Amino acid sequence: MKEIIFAGFGGQGVLTGGLIIAYMAAQKDLNAVWMPAYGPTMRGGKANCVVKFGETVQEKVGSPIMEDADILIAMNEPSLDYLQFCKPDATVFVNSNAVRQDYDYPEGMTVISVDCVHLAQEAENMKGQNLVMAGAVIKKCSLFELEYATAAMCRFFESKGKGKYNDKNIKAIECGYRAVS
Amino acid sequence: MNVIKQAPEIMYKNNQFCAGCGHGITYRLIQEAVEELGYKDNHITVLGVGCSCNLNTLTKGDKFQCAHGRAAAVATGMKHTKKDTLIFTYQGDGDAGVIGIAETLNAAYRNEKITVITVNNSNFGMTGGQMSWTTLPEQITTTTPLGRDCAQKGYPFHLPEMIASQFTHVAYVARGAVNDSKNIRQLKKMIKNGLEAQVKEEGYSLIEVLAPCPTNWNLSPLQSLEWLEENMLKEYPIGEFKKRGV
Amino acid sequence: MAKELMKGNVAAAEAAIRAGMDFFAGYPITPSTEVLEHLALRMPQENREMIQGENEIASMNMVIGAAACGARAMTASSGPGISLKAEAFSYAARSELPYVCLNVQRWGVGLGRLDSGQSDYMRETKGGGHGDYHHIVYSPSTIQELVDDIYEAWDVSEKYRCGVVVLSEGFLGQMMESVEIPPYKKREKPLGWGIDGSGKIGTRQSPDTDTLVARLRERTALIQSQMQRYENYQVEDAEYVFVAFGLPARVCRDAVDTLRAKGEKAGLIRPRLVWPYPVQAFKEVNPQVKGFISIESNDLGQMVEDVALASRVTSDKRVPVYCYAHSMGTPGVKMVMGKYMEVKNGSMKEVF
Repeated sequence: MKEIIFAGFGGQGVLTGGLIIAYMAAQKDLNAVWMPAYGPTMRGGKANCVVKFGETVQEKVGSPIMEDADILIAMNEPSLDYLQFCKPDATVFVNSNAVRQDYDYPEGMTVISVDCVHLAQEAENMKGQNLVMAGAVIKKCSLFELEYATAAMCRFFESKGKGKYNDKNIKAIECGYRAVS
Repeated sequence: MNVIKQAPEIMYKNNQFCAGCGHGITYRLIQEAVEELGYKDNHITVLGVGCSCNLNTLTKGDKFQCAHGRAAAVATGMKHTKKDTLIFTYQGDGDAGVIGIAETLNAAYRNEKITVITVNNSNFGMTGGQMSWTTLPEQITTTTPLGRDCAQKGYPFHLPEMIASQFTHVAYVARGAVNDSKNIRQLKKMIKNGLEAQVKEEGYSLIEVLAPCPTNWNLSPLQSLEWLEENMLKEYPIGEFKKRGV
Repeated sequence: MAKELMKGNVAAAEAAIRAGMDFFAGYPITPSTEVLEHLALRMPQENREMIQGENEIASMNMVIGAAACGARAMTASSGPGISLKAEAFSYAARSELPYVCLNVQRWGVGLGRLDSGQSDYMRETKGGGHGDYHHIVYSPSTIQELVDDIYEAWDVSEKYRCGVVVLSEGFLGQMMESVEIPPYKKREKPLGWGIDGSGKIGTRQSPDTDTLVARLRERTALIQSQMQRYENYQVEDAEYVFVAFGLPARVCRDAVDTLRAKGEKAGLIRPRLVWPYPVQAFKEVNPQVKGFISIESNDLGQMVEDVALASRVTSDKRVPVYCYAHSMGTPGVKMVMGKYMEVKNGSMKEVF
């Protein structure tokens, strides 16, 4: 079981970012759950979603709520509140443009700083900062192969009638993917 | 014997309304109109709560008993399911204009292809003569024992005028009365117009019927006709407020 | 058919279309609104009828009208909206009309909050409107179950001439999960009744009060015996058994696995219908069980009363019944495990 929290301000694409990761898992026939914060949270401008998926086709997702995350993606500093819902050895991806460098993380966690703004600029896709982050996560945590991930993402956007941005979006995900090792 | 005119086939001979009540005539007119339009075997009477409930014993045609005030909504659901069936509500003024004002107005607002027929006798008949929104100024009812003080309790409510003036897209809106033969003949035409507007898919239609309530007015049947003419006709003018095709 | 990642509310709405729904009326309310939105697009595509009503009262009365004429009709809402429909539920029951109502439950009394919850258990299982009647109440835990329940709902509703409620939850409606959407189907056999305007068929309601009462009693007993549905997990040797439906049941199942891995003998009864209540499930539990723990997402504990009743009628022993009412949201696995240990070490007081 993988549990991922994708959090940030409304407009940073965190719900879509999480959904694309869930979609990548579901397209591999893995059982996947995507749970968005909705209602008052959404309207207050703060957004997050939880993605859980089985690591084998047989593995089912039980509890769908945020509780014991393997990965936290923090697009801004308030999102680090969700560290309390992370495993002690979780991997935390932070947007270096919106989170201060000297933040005091719990011991045992791996922290990956991603320069979303510059990487998105490089991809000529400023709205694709969430995809940059998704690319970094997929690589660092060995979730999916790059080729599979970009193909699945393209299918996702095509299903929403937004396939015309696929080239820009592939670039964004690739920039994130290559930014981590 | 030559038969010049007989009761509609779909009508039972006896009814349970009080002597002098206006419901019997009104429903007879509706059934005549239904038969004449060729819908004897293809119509539904959607019944409100109040004295209109007594129609259960008056018609052999399809009928459905609704919750108080909800007939226009039920008729809407029916019409969307049976588009070729003639569907009309039969409600009192309390049912259509007080507790059911939301359903009545919203069905008109959406221009549902249904017909609302509402009988206005200026009081709540079934529960024993309480104030309705149509109760006249100074009229005594069991909840206006000293006469209706309109400054405190609101003024007589004119449902057809309200619908015709606000929802100008509806097909047909009229008010008739059952107090004399001339008005009864006119009312028959109004009812037929309203039902025909539905059949021809022109839109929503509503007919209000001024009817006497001798029992709760504490008058004889004849006196109640006089009271209706002297009081109700002045407050509630009869006529067509929205004509078809205009 | 391949699985798709779908939002609970959207999947529920699509399942209703696949099940042959002819008519839908509803009014927006978070967290159920996507049902209405999806159907606003899809129903006209399928040449079926959909109305955004002026409120929930009118919407449910429209459903009555459509159902009385033989349509497969449905409405959907959430806590406060369903309260407004309760009057019409009673009238539908009087006319013995089949219909489906989806309740995407939110938390709380009054306006409550938009958060997920299980605050409507009492109302949905005990009636809710005036007079004596029951809904058949499905309690899905996954979006697939939500879809399957709605897909079956009219078949059951028409068989018994009894309204069906599908008890979803805010989180279940809002989340997305891999789901298989079933193929289009239609009613298999004609209803044999339904107002058609001819004056000859009608709703074939019970003609008089005595017949109606007898029929209602007979039908209720029949549903209670034929619709016992539940999933028992590790109850045969359990010391303490969780009882939970909907999302808390998923959490409890994870908790059972984790507790078992630590040597605790935990079990779970998961009602798949909460009316009729699956009393049968309690007969399969270890006779030496030391307690039942009802886990619910409401404030006071509602299902716990049915847990107590079921445990008493299936055992001569007076097995203690505990309750953890989590309030809004869904409890986590750690929370539920903590409650288990509180029960075990005696620090939680029994309710019954």
